[in-house]
Amino acid sequence: MKNDFKNGFVANIPIGFSVAAYGSVCGMMSSQAGVEFYEMMLMNVFIFAGSSQMIIIEMWSDSLNVLGIILAALMINLRYFLIGASLSTLFQNSSKKEKLAYMHLCADENWAVTIAKAKKQDITPLFLFGGGVCLLLIWSASTSAGFVLGEFISDPSKYALDFAFVAIFTALTFNMYHGKNNLIPWVIAALVAIVAEYFIAGKFYIVFGALAGSFSAVYLHKDEDE
Amino acid sequence: MNNIDLNALFIIFCVAIGTYSLRYFGLVFSNRLKNEGNVKVFLDYLPSTLLLSLIAPAILKEGLLGFVATAFIALCMYKTKSILASMVLGVIVVAIGRNFI
Repeated sequence: MKNDFKNGFVANIPIGFSVAAYGSVCGMMSSQAGVEFYEMMLMNVFIFAGSSQMIIIEMWSDSLNVLGIILAALMINLRYFLIGASLSTLFQNSSKKEKLAYMHLCADENWAVTIAKAKKQDITPLFLFGGGVCLLLIWSASTSAGFVLGEFISDPSKYALDFAFVAIFTALTFNMYHGKNNLIPWVIAALVAIVAEYFIAGKFYIVFGALAGSFSAVYLHKDEDE
Repeated sequence: MNNIDLNALFIIFCVAIGTYSLRYFGLVFSNRLKNEGNVKVFLDYLPSTLLLSLIAPAILKEGLLGFVATAFIALCMYKTKSILASMVLGVIVVAIGRNFI
């Protein structure tokens, strides 16, 4: 079981490349927006959620609208409620202390790697935590590098580094494919997300798409055997 | 310590507490639900539908290139089962498309 920490750490190194690409962009934006280095590091350690950090930094340049920034960042992070809920099976046998300790370093990436792994073999929450520590190190190092070498990557989109994030999530999604049953709920989730993204400001589309897809799966399963 | 620094620290503090609470209470709340039947199906589908909702609009915005890259990623996952190889292939396809087509 101790090995789960190490295994989780190692399993997140591949996705770490895209985290590093994203992190260096985030660090670069931070220095340009006038965020202090220590402020960026506080966010890395205590918020530990890339897209909300990006939004905070984006809004940073227009003088500090305290409430607006807090609300925008937390709305983006609403999905962590669902992410937490999806981990209930993994934490089935964990104490309250373990839950409190291991949930903080749960980001999109190590969560996705953990969920994919849990479908194939028995793992403990230490796998998630090991991945979180791995990502925290990579995230801190790459945002620092981006902060210092601000102008070095002048055009990350030229090398499609911005697509790395999408590409890895796409690969992880296909990794969860279990047969034709998945198709309809998946199409519903994607369509609802696309429509919601178009009409609703912010990142609520992620929540809507996931809820629509999952509810449709429940509905469809009723027709079958359950 | 000037005003802006305090505001900045306040923002970081609130977002940190809020985000941690979402992570923790998401987990705790779901534990109170009975993990069987409909709830189980729902929770089983949450991860993949959440990921899909995250990527679908991004792929669409990339246009035809996004769909081509997605097809390559799917094929690569099917053949190799390697997440890293599939990701790299997807990025290379988009990079080539943006620079040469």
